Amino acid sequence: MTPHRFAFASALGGALVALAACASLPPPTEQMAVAHAAVAHAVGAGSTEFAPAELALARDKMTRADRAMASKDYATALTLSQQAQLDAQVAEAKSESAKAGKSAVALQEASRALREEMARQPR
Amino acid sequence: MKTPIRFTTLALLAATMAACSTLPPGNAMLDQARSDYRAAQANTQTEALAPVEMKQAGEALALANAAQARKDEPAMIDQLAYLSRRRTALAQETAARKQSEAAVATATADRDKVRLEARTLEADRATRNAAVATADAAQSKRQSESAMRDAAASQRAAASSQMRAGEAERRNQALMARMQEMKAEKTDRGMVVTLGDLLFDTGRAELKAGAVRDMQRLGEFLREYPQRRALIEGYTDSVGPDAANQVLSERRAGAVMTALLGMGVGRDQLTSQGYGETHPVAGNDDAGGRQMNRRVEIVLSDENGALTAR
Repeated sequence: MTPHRFAFASALGGALVALAACASLPPPTEQMAVAHAAVAHAVGAGSTEFAPAELALARDKMTRADRAMASKDYATALTLSQQAQLDAQVAEAKSESAKAGKSAVALQEASRALREEMARQPR
Repeated sequence: MKTPIRFTTLALLAATMAACSTLPPGNAMLDQARSDYRAAQANTQTEALAPVEMKQAGEALALANAAQARKDEPAMIDQLAYLSRRRTALAQETAARKQSEAAVATATADRDKVRLEARTLEADRATRNAAVATADAAQSKRQSESAMRDAAASQRAAASSQMRAGEAERRNQALMARMQEMKAEKTDRGMVVTLGDLLFDTGRAELKAGAVRDMQRLGEFLREYPQRRALIEGYTDSVGPDAANQVLSERRAGAVMTALLGMGVGRDQLTSQGYGETHPVAGNDDAGGRQMNRRVEIVLSDENGALTAR
């Protein structure tokens, strides 16, 4: 089950009511949870080391989103958490590509060293 | 974990934002989003390696463009544009990751290939070394076997020499015993058997009965060693004329020779000679001395038959 379907349903549920005033947007709890999870996932992928700027950006936005939720500013919370989710995804993607890049370099280096070693060996 | 943002939710947000915000219009973010997307498209690798992510980025940009076309709130357009830019960045990072993963696969295959080459070389080298070692070992074995054979041969030669030496020693001792039995004495001319005066009657040349017995051993010796020769020499004391003594000494030597021939000693082994009163061994002044001079000497040759003539 994808989280956004649930958000859609709940959003649609309060759609007509929300159209009346900006403060009556339903609390984007689903989106908040998804965004928090995305940040955690990015940390787990090593973003602290490989994509610190992106990660900090995502975390900062989530902090602000949490505050917005607390003060019932659901529009802000929604906006920020959407942004934070993608920021976290980018952080994770950067970490993965950085790690793959390091592996490639290390392996290429190992191959080169091994070839050099072999060239030195007497036949 | 990708969550496409539903148009309905965004529309809801747009409506909400329109209801409670008065931000001035601006599409700098959208320009940036378009520019980012074009740049990603320009890199053919991005499309090839991250097609799904590029499609999502394109859809996000379309949403933003549509919002602008509808003249939605700038905040809405900004949000959509920002999300679009993030989607584009995601596509680019995904492509970069896949490129690195491909490089890892290539490098791994390459490293494995190099390792295999190295191991093959090592194995070849080890095989050659083993072959050399085996050859060395075989050669060492042959050398040591050869040395052992030499040692065994030397041992056998030594044992053989020892045996011969032992045999020679025994023969020598046997010979010495025989000489002792014959009462032969060593002189500068060789072994000499002296037959005394008592073998003959005074002035006569016939051997007395007991004399033949005394000569028994000598005869056996000469018969047993046909290559041995004997010089039979007769001597007298100085009593009486020289000529008579000469004849007597010759006849006595001859008698001894005849006796030895009678025992079966070979003719070519014997020579007889008379020396008369010459070469006395003792003084002729007293009876004892004269008796000693009356003798027959039998000089024995060496084992090859060589004699030293007087």
